[in-house]
Amino acid sequence: MELSVAVTQLLNGIALGMLLFLLAAGLSLMFGLMGIVNLAHGSYFMVGGYVGLSVLDGTGSFTAAVLAGGGSGAFLGFLTERFLMRRVYGLRHHEPILLTFALSLILSDLSLFLWTGIPRWVEPPSFLAFSIDMGGIFYPAYRFAIIVTGIMVFGVLYWFQEKTRWGAIVRAGVEDKEMATGLGINIPMVFTLVFCLGAFIAGFGGFVGSPILGLHIGLDFEVIMLALAVVVVGGIGSLPGCITTCLLLGLADTFGKVLWQKYASLTIYVIVVIVLLVKPTGLFGKKG
Amino acid sequence: MRDISFALEQGGPRVVIIGPNGAGKTTLFNIITGELSPSSGKVYLFSRDVTKMQCHRRTYLGLGRTFQIVDLFPNFTVMENTLLAFQAHDTSCFHMIRPLSSYKSIHDRARALLERFGLWEKRDFPINALSHGEMRHVELILGLAMEPKVLLLDEPTAGLTSSESQELASLIQKLRRDITLAMIEHDMKVAFALAERMIVLHDGEILADGEPETIRANSKVREVYLGERIKL
Amino acid sequence: MTARSWRLIAYIVLGIVLIFLIPHSPRYVQTLAISIIIYSIYVSSANLLTGYTGLVSLGQAMFWGSGAYLAAILTTRGILHNFYLIFLISILSVMLIGAAFGALAVRTKKLYFMILTFAFGHVVWSVAMYSLQNLTYGFNGIRDILRPDLGLPWSMESNVNFYYLALAVAALCFFILSLIIHSPFGHALVGIRDNEHRMIALGYNTFLYKYLSYILSAIIAGAGGVLFAYFNCYVNPSELHWVWSGEALMMMFIGGIGTFWGPVLGALVFTGLRYWVSAYTRFWFGAEGVIFILVVLFFRGGIAGFLMDLQRRVNPSKP
Repeated sequence: MELSVAVTQLLNGIALGMLLFLLAAGLSLMFGLMGIVNLAHGSYFMVGGYVGLSVLDGTGSFTAAVLAGGGSGAFLGFLTERFLMRRVYGLRHHEPILLTFALSLILSDLSLFLWTGIPRWVEPPSFLAFSIDMGGIFYPAYRFAIIVTGIMVFGVLYWFQEKTRWGAIVRAGVEDKEMATGLGINIPMVFTLVFCLGAFIAGFGGFVGSPILGLHIGLDFEVIMLALAVVVVGGIGSLPGCITTCLLLGLADTFGKVLWQKYASLTIYVIVVIVLLVKPTGLFGKKG
Repeated sequence: MRDISFALEQGGPRVVIIGPNGAGKTTLFNIITGELSPSSGKVYLFSRDVTKMQCHRRTYLGLGRTFQIVDLFPNFTVMENTLLAFQAHDTSCFHMIRPLSSYKSIHDRARALLERFGLWEKRDFPINALSHGEMRHVELILGLAMEPKVLLLDEPTAGLTSSESQELASLIQKLRRDITLAMIEHDMKVAFALAERMIVLHDGEILADGEPETIRANSKVREVYLGERIKL
Repeated sequence: MTARSWRLIAYIVLGIVLIFLIPHSPRYVQTLAISIIIYSIYVSSANLLTGYTGLVSLGQAMFWGSGAYLAAILTTRGILHNFYLIFLISILSVMLIGAAFGALAVRTKKLYFMILTFAFGHVVWSVAMYSLQNLTYGFNGIRDILRPDLGLPWSMESNVNFYYLALAVAALCFFILSLIIHSPFGHALVGIRDNEHRMIALGYNTFLYKYLSYILSAIIAGAGGVLFAYFNCYVNPSELHWVWSGEALMMMFIGGIGTFWGPVLGALVFTGLRYWVSAYTRFWFGAEGVIFILVVLFFRGGIAGFLMDLQRRVNPSKP
């Protein structure tokens, strides 16, 4: 492989990894804090993209669209937590999963109804529609922006989890709920906040990623698979684990497509299987 | 836990392990049964090194156990709980064709054990319809069903009234002598009534190991229990 | 009247309806009935693994779809002509797939198990869609599957005859399941579901039990898939997709998880609703989701659970 191709693919892999991170971070947080696998998380991603698209079509402002995408994600996350999840906390594992599965079906059809099934691509905003010259290798500024955004989001989340009181609760997880309540922290509010935050990032990511991934019906079902793969391989409740896995899988998928086209889509899942065989709790798994 | 080393004599004196909360008594049992791995050291069962052996295989060798917090099958009746325990060591445990109700030998043995503990009349009761005392009896039944050679009882009288405790204690007293018994107890009356050898654990270490009366007089032991307000 | 005599009457009525009434109903009822019967085989395979053993799997579609595709490929390509041989080879292959994946999946704990079965299912779907496109025709699916030749005087081209075939296969499956559930093995599975920790302490090799349960449920799902391929005469990728796995869980839940007839009731309600709702809107997925949320929130025991509650209220004398 030529150097220029290798570098481009490397950056593509990292950019894809960052998109995966935007998608998966929320899911990982939710899983780590509440033990809930939210199968509707991919739907937040897709709907966020579509809402952003509509706002972009209507206002022409990329920034407004980005915020709308995130906002719609947060809104859906709020609805999910407040009206569905609250009723099934503490039940056997499968009720929350099935509820979110049902929700994903509803959102999928709702999206079909609102936006029809025609695939759409979003153009990068004019202020990022150029290529950066890296000594002869040209790389789209937009993808760079995605990489930078991913790093920033990671930074914010990491700060939140490590340095704030609420973050401490997220780290402590569900087991110390009683103790945390005793300390005067409003647990239901923390849950709602985490849900909304995670969903916001997903919706945001859905729109920000649309110039690369596109928007089409079925995207939600495709990405939830990826997000779960990330959570499982990266280990639960670990942000560094999450982003590392995302980068790993992003690179694997990108190079996989270049190197062995016919089996490219399998690369990620092969990695999932191998990792889980060797370390059943994931690469950075804290909680078994 | 630090530096624990002791041996149980097969068919030997009955051991009661006492110690303040957090001394590591249940942890010790967990290491013996295999639920926890020791960070160093070995576990031997009938002169066999079982340190790396899986839980269920140690049971198969003859190691039985009951739990401090009653750990039964909530959706099964008393009889079904008991059958499940008996079935484990029967050749029928993987049979998929004949219904469980047709295995007479398992049923007969279950009946015998239930009658001995006075629970035969309540055999069709769901587990949560039983009183706590009766549930502790079932807990003991599950431990005995496999006809263990070594039986570890973890606070078998936990949560019982003193008369219930005495009743259970006398049932334990009547167990066959060829079962090697080791018991964790918090209730001192029961402990001293049943113990033929006593081990005191404190802070993960063995503080004392010997005859009950010697232990009772041991000043270090009394010191440890002083703060616990438990009369020796 | 005792519960037993009620049940006997119910069975007799059911028998009459199934054997005599359905075949003389309008065509669409026959088709619905066959679908319900075949789906209930699928759902009871999931019920064995999830309802009775406690392992929530999002990968049942993998076995159903594999069975369906294998049968489809074997028959449309003329590799084999004998229905019985195709059936046998398909479910044996599905059993091998189950044995391979199960050995890995069953080692993991409940939530990881779910995600892993999800991942495995998606791998199989991807392989079928992309890597084996020459065999499976990718998204187009395999068409023009002919109804099987049973070597009997009755042609399976007729829906009525195929109905009896489906009924016979389903009856066999349910009979086998009934044996398993009432056997010592079956009781052990429920023990593992309710308290695996104690089962291990009692000396059960719980891994082996879960593994066997996984393989059995794979075989049954595969059998349903084969039957479906012959019935529908068309197999497409949605039979392998994880959404179909999720719908198995949903049907199981609607009917009553961990109950014997729950899968049938669930398949009945699901198929009926799908037929009815699809007449009004193309957004069946959405409707499905709404229905399911309502069931999970308000009817947690499913239909069977509701009926059992009713029985308990009518008959409070039982402890």
